[in-house]
Amino acid sequence: MWEHPPVTGGTPALDARDVAKRFGRVEALRGLTLTVRSGEIYGLLGPNGSGKTTFIRCVAGLVRPDAGTLSVLGEAPRAAISRGRIGYMTQTAALYPELSVDENLRFFGALVGLRDADRHIEEALRTIDLLDRRRSIVGTLSGGMRQRLSLAAALLHDPRLLLLDEPTVGVDPALRREFWQHFRSLTERGVTILVSSHVMDEAARCDRLGLIREGRVLAEGSATELVARAGTPDLESAFLALSAPAAQGGGAAAASERLRT
Amino acid sequence: MSPRRVRAVAQRIAQQFRHDRRSLGLLIVAPILVLSLVGALWGSNTSQRTKVIVATDGRLPAQVIDALRRVDTLDITTDTPEGAMRQLRDAKADAVVSGRVGVVRTEIVITLEGSDALRSGSVLGAIQKGIISAAGGALGGAGAAPPLQIEYLHGGPDYTLLDHLAPLLVSLFAFFFTFLLSAVSFLRERTSGTLERLMATPLLRGELVLGYLAGFSFFALIQAVVIIGFTVLVLRVKYTGNIGTIFLIEALLVIVSVSLGLFISAFARNELQAVQFIPIVLLPQVFLSGLLVPVDQLPEVLRPFSAVLPLTYANEALRSVMIRGFPLDDPLIVRDLLVLAVFGVLTVAGAIASIRREVA
Repeated sequence: MWEHPPVTGGTPALDARDVAKRFGRVEALRGLTLTVRSGEIYGLLGPNGSGKTTFIRCVAGLVRPDAGTLSVLGEAPRAAISRGRIGYMTQTAALYPELSVDENLRFFGALVGLRDADRHIEEALRTIDLLDRRRSIVGTLSGGMRQRLSLAAALLHDPRLLLLDEPTVGVDPALRREFWQHFRSLTERGVTILVSSHVMDEAARCDRLGLIREGRVLAEGSATELVARAGTPDLESAFLALSAPAAQGGGAAAASERLRT
Repeated sequence: MSPRRVRAVAQRIAQQFRHDRRSLGLLIVAPILVLSLVGALWGSNTSQRTKVIVATDGRLPAQVIDALRRVDTLDITTDTPEGAMRQLRDAKADAVVSGRVGVVRTEIVITLEGSDALRSGSVLGAIQKGIISAAGGALGGAGAAPPLQIEYLHGGPDYTLLDHLAPLLVSLFAFFFTFLLSAVSFLRERTSGTLERLMATPLLRGELVLGYLAGFSFFALIQAVVIIGFTVLVLRVKYTGNIGTIFLIEALLVIVSVSLGLFISAFARNELQAVQFIPIVLLPQVFLSGLLVPVDQLPEVLRPFSAVLPLTYANEALRSVMIRGFPLDDPLIVRDLLVLAVFGVLTVAGAIASIRREVA
């Protein structure tokens, strides 16, 4: 599974220009601009409430921006969604706990018009190492297993762009490493990944990072570039230095508290 | 036992209520709503007029007709015997009074519409009152009331209250359970994040609602088979109509209740709040759809409410099929089915509109 023709440069997988979104009095996105290249892992790094989830939901067609343009794989988000080109893994493992592993995957497969579902599901289950649990009721699985299944459900239809909203929250370090090995092997097959996180060691595994705060991208580049630009010993202090102007010392301290490695 | 810990728990519950204004509101609003209904329903002396047609066959003593006209709750009109029976059959009248020449003397025949036991009782009482007063007056002198023959167009004296209520109970159960189940399960879809996931697939909102309708209707119809089978076979409830028509009415009602459940789930944040909608949605239908008081005997002020409740029409249609034995193409049934279909379209549209993509 997950075989794609090699990506030929040119069109970025995701192009966001001045995207703004307001929920009542809360300005979630204030002119966010970023570009994700095809086949890379792009990390959205920022504290809680910085707009990461809102942005991912915009890309997933769940939230319509108030202003700005958003092009996903060269088309509008909803168009890309309806053609089954996007996979979306929500923060919580959104699955049906009363159904079995197999039934969950079959359902999500049917929604995206999966052909040859048997083969796809078997391969997906082998990849996430749940083949022997395919008849198990999801409610009886451990948190980690559910998270893996959630990932499999997002990948079932071979999407070109995978959206991961804090995919490793509550996942133990061993499984987290496994997840990232998956993600890397997916990009080798041409899949582009947009992942949000506030965990620094995950951020370091991304090809490029966008540091987000208060709905804006403050800095963009690879982990090494960002560290070099900030002149700090590590990524965490680079984030704090880049995201906090001198006048806002208190803000940086608060952000530091919210950012855990 | 520590009073401090008890107080902490009590305090926490009070705080939770303070943050859950909706529950607090419903706790106050729901009983007021229900009490207002009960007050309007049973608290006033409604002078409900009963429509009686006197058959102009010339066999009924003039004194009886005059006496009937004097009963203030009776609304007397006249028609030919055939015309009178047609009006009775079309549910435009409650009873027909006619005369029949017997062996010894003329009998007075009261033909009751009969599909509603509660109504039959009050109609019969009012007519008898008129006839007895006529008897006490000029008619036969010393209280010699003419012999009364009571006949029923539908149902009859062997129909128990259960026979009359069965159609209404069938619709009430179908409505209640499917409404509750669909509201709670769709609420789970909203709160567990699966709805968000579904909306990020090619699945359209309309497809989701139709899928819910199909899934729930299937089980609701199984439930209907069980309810109707049990009432007919075990409780020995009499029914005369076509069973297929009964299921068609049930199916339409279920579409309304499922989509109403989906719609209502948008206004609840948790299962507790969803359950609190039961008195708001269900109790008015119990009070106003003909289960406790016949719809046209409702106080004037409540009748417009009754007219906008789906259960009113489902009850009327089921009663027409099960007790009156009307066929599917009867104008009364067709009208009720059309009204239910309109409710269906409106509630489905409401359900679709309630699934907004922008949930955040």
